[in-house]
Amino acid sequence: MAPVVLVGTRKGLFVLSGNGERRDWEVSGPLLRGWEVFHAIADPRDGAVYAATNSFVYGATVHRSVDRGETWTRAEELGLPEESDLTLEKTWHVEPGREGEDGRLWLGGAPGVLFKTDDSGTTWQAVDGVVGHPTRDRWNPGAGGMCCHSIQLDPDDPNRMYIAISAAGTFRSEDGGESWTPANKGVAADFMPNDTFPEVGQCVHKLLLHPARPERLWQQNHCGVYRSDDHGRNWERLEGNGLPSGFGFPIALDPADPDTAYVIPEEGAESRVTPDGRLGVYRTRDAGASWELASNGLPAPAWCAVLRECTSFDDEAVYFGTQSGSVFVTADGGESWSEAASQLPPILSVEAAEWS
Amino acid sequence: MVVVLLPGMLAAEAGGEKRFEVEAATVAEALRALLISNLIFDERGNLRHLVNIYVDGADIRDRGGVEAKLTGSETIQIVGAIAGG
Repeated sequence: MAPVVLVGTRKGLFVLSGNGERRDWEVSGPLLRGWEVFHAIADPRDGAVYAATNSFVYGATVHRSVDRGETWTRAEELGLPEESDLTLEKTWHVEPGREGEDGRLWLGGAPGVLFKTDDSGTTWQAVDGVVGHPTRDRWNPGAGGMCCHSIQLDPDDPNRMYIAISAAGTFRSEDGGESWTPANKGVAADFMPNDTFPEVGQCVHKLLLHPARPERLWQQNHCGVYRSDDHGRNWERLEGNGLPSGFGFPIALDPADPDTAYVIPEEGAESRVTPDGRLGVYRTRDAGASWELASNGLPAPAWCAVLRECTSFDDEAVYFGTQSGSVFVTADGGESWSEAASQLPPILSVEAAEWS
Repeated sequence: MVVVLLPGMLAAEAGGEKRFEVEAATVAEALRALLISNLIFDERGNLRHLVNIYVDGADIRDRGGVEAKLTGSETIQIVGAIAGG
């Protein structure tokens, strides 16, 4: 099967089609013209493409295509209940359900909300346990709004799942999404004036679960990189060990190796550019005990930024996309990178897929 | 019949059609008859702030808003706010 990379941008969706070596890529698009594509993903169960789409005029929605982007349908029902006093601001992330959960997907959005569909995205129901969470009055929006950007499903337990919201923190559900427990112990909120380890209010930038070891979670946070080996009950901060900065947005996990992860740090919250004037990916192969720069083939000097949804993995390669419109790929674990596309609009998401 | 004209982005969401004819007694009725009504109105049924509606060239803000009455021969034009880069 040929590798495909779905690239969501500020100005539509682009599709990169590659060969087996992942050296030569054909760029097509933009699809969904006029829409900001915050995230696009191919459902591994049936190949349907879902896109979290936003327009500053026409609002927030989700598009679906079953013909590789030739035609699209749009969610018919998507909104927040009147009694919540909230209205949907943005859609951020679509997460397909598990194998066997036909038609089910999850959708994260702003202001800190989660939706579920059981009809492949025609109608979406707000998840009451998140919309009405008892700690909501202690949540605050980050620079991108109060976005629910991470949704992770435990592959071994159909009732366990996780979400992350900026700046509310990580939450775990053990009952299929009905109720949600804060999972932020050990995660700093250095920006809080009094309590820097609160129950909630942490600014998670991206949360991922390792599919082969689902008790292991990683997060790139506003205040460091963290790993948990107990379903998010406790977190260990992983820095001072090769990372130039704990600040960054994306994180990528090697699906074949639970100890290998990649981050792309930025100087800090007040200077959101890559450190040392280079586009640097940092890799750990020992579960975060140490990090090394893996930047061969990446541009320098460069003062880029890579957003939270902009890294992805497939069986052979790691991908990431920059706000300056380039997509980079490595097929040798970060030893060398090549540019798969350039001069795209600012990139908001990257997802690898395989189309038969 | 009331004619409703869509901008390109909404036309793409409506199967590529830019012109619709609907029967409607008010502007709101005409707009809610469209397949793309949930892009014009939010989940509370309010017209989105940056969607401008003109009836025979006049801004509906000057004609009573979306509840303005129609006689049945008007042309409604939907125009997204002009901004951005």
